[in-house]
Amino acid sequence: MLLVPLLHLIQNVADSAGVTTSPWTGWVRGLPSLGRPAASGAPWSVGLYGLELLDPLATLGLLAARSFSWSWLLGAVPAVVLVVFLGRYFCGWICPYALVVGASNAARSLLAKLGVRTYDLKVPPATAYGVLLILLLATAVTGQQVASLFYPPAVIGRALGKVILFGSAGAGAVFIGALFLFDTFVSRAGFCRSFCPGGAVFRLLSIPSPVKVVRHAPACTNCGACDVVCNFAQSPMTDRLDQDCERCGKCVAVCPTDALGLVLIGGGKKSPGART
Amino acid sequence: MKWGKWDRRRVLSAVLGLFSFSALTAGLRVRRASAEWLRPPGALPPGDFEAACIRCFRCAEVCPPQCIRFDAWLPPAEADTPFVVPADRACTLCMACTEVCPTGALGRIERQPDLIALVVKMGHPELSKDRCLAWNGKGNCHLCHDVCPYRNQAVTLSGDRPRPEFHPSLCVGCGLCEEACPVDDQAIRIRPLSEKTKAPS
Ligand code: SF4
Ligand code: SF4
Ligand code: SF4
Ligand code: SF4
Ligand code: SF4
Repeated sequence: MLLVPLLHLIQNVADSAGVTTSPWTGWVRGLPSLGRPAASGAPWSVGLYGLELLDPLATLGLLAARSFSWSWLLGAVPAVVLVVFLGRYFCGWICPYALVVGASNAARSLLAKLGVRTYDLKVPPATAYGVLLILLLATAVTGQQVASLFYPPAVIGRALGKVILFGSAGAGAVFIGALFLFDTFVSRAGFCRSFCPGGAVFRLLSIPSPVKVVRHAPACTNCGACDVVCNFAQSPMTDRLDQDCERCGKCVAVCPTDALGLVLIGGGKKSPGART
Repeated sequence: MKWGKWDRRRVLSAVLGLFSFSALTAGLRVRRASAEWLRPPGALPPGDFEAACIRCFRCAEVCPPQCIRFDAWLPPAEADTPFVVPADRACTLCMACTEVCPTGALGRIERQPDLIALVVKMGHPELSKDRCLAWNGKGNCHLCHDVCPYRNQAVTLSGDRPRPEFHPSLCVGCGLCEEACPVDDQAIRIRPLSEKTKAPS
């Protein structure tokens, strides 16, 4: 139980670490620069002492609009390897939009307490593949990197940079605000589950992931605690898609009877969760 | 409608309406202006640039004078892509943006003045002798010459009363002269390269 607030904290720190290299960390640039700016970028594209990381969605967009380049492929390798191993961990631990999802889930429970009606439309998660396909087609046809205009990590990275450098976030903030309202009033975690083009890429990549939440059904008392805590609006015990699990471990931590566990399939327990 | 009906709520909504109208039309104004904006140094030609730029903001983030702007209220091809608006703030040719660009949308360029003079071409200078204080006799200004990193090449002063002449083939288009020009509607303007004005490579 105690682990839940702790996990929240760690994840929020991890989320902001995703944007740590954005302008607000002037200290990063105080480090010796080795001839070029030491660190720059948001999760969408990061440079750290010459190490270049690209979001796999950025790589796909570049391949769609331009010719092939090894550096784009190499830049995406670390993210691909991590997601293949850890599943959609990116969504829970790195994506800055996870903070918005958390806020929207909090707003939902507050509204429920106040008796305000919200809806929870379940859009098929495969819709995101359609969004991904349309954006990549649009990228290929128009020859412009359009996905970057609709993918929250890219939008939030730019909006933050603009706030810090120029004092106004612009249209990006409007877009993110609209997503927040959608997630809060129309569909819980709806954008991440069913529309996010980057999420669609991670969904595909996470199929072989050996790190999974496992169930020990006999121990479950149907308390529903895990259903409430899941950022992605899953029911970890009864109705969960591994491809849509961000490996946040909150359901494992909250379960009072240890009916859930996060394990490495073929290995030992990775995080046994809260012991009582 | 009687004036009595103009209660506080109506007045506020009217003000709000006017405000949103001006905000919207400001968006439209910006849209027209972008045709006059410049790409940062090392940018691929138009078309190739939009295909390569993933709108990551890293060039703006590292730009010391913060001259790279991202504007989202533009058509999709240009929305949230980097622009330099020299009348606002000009590029100091540090080449930091070209060092961090992850996609080659800005090609990497060493910070060597001679090399920069050879490969950087952000725009070309256009002097209005009507507006220039040195030419129209309203002043003894030669600020553009003084701030130019390539003075005596890109801008030269000539005549017994020094007046600036610009030499497009030697100008890299940084816009420092435009930023410095004291005339409200700057006498020297750096125009983006269009097909016909592109320097032969
Ligand atoms: S199922 Fe559990 S581990 Fe997966 S996202 Fe939901 S709460 Fe996190
Ligand atoms: S060269 Fe330097 S000053 Fe000019 S746009 Fe790039 S980062 Fe900014
Ligand atoms: S660094 Fe390069 S890819 Fe990123 S926004 Fe600037 S020009 Fe575009
Ligand atoms: S003439 Fe103006 S734009 Fe050209 S190099 Fe000199 S200062 Fe820069
Ligand atoms: S700075 Fe402007 S007014 Fe002064 S000489 Fe140059 S172009 Fe003319």
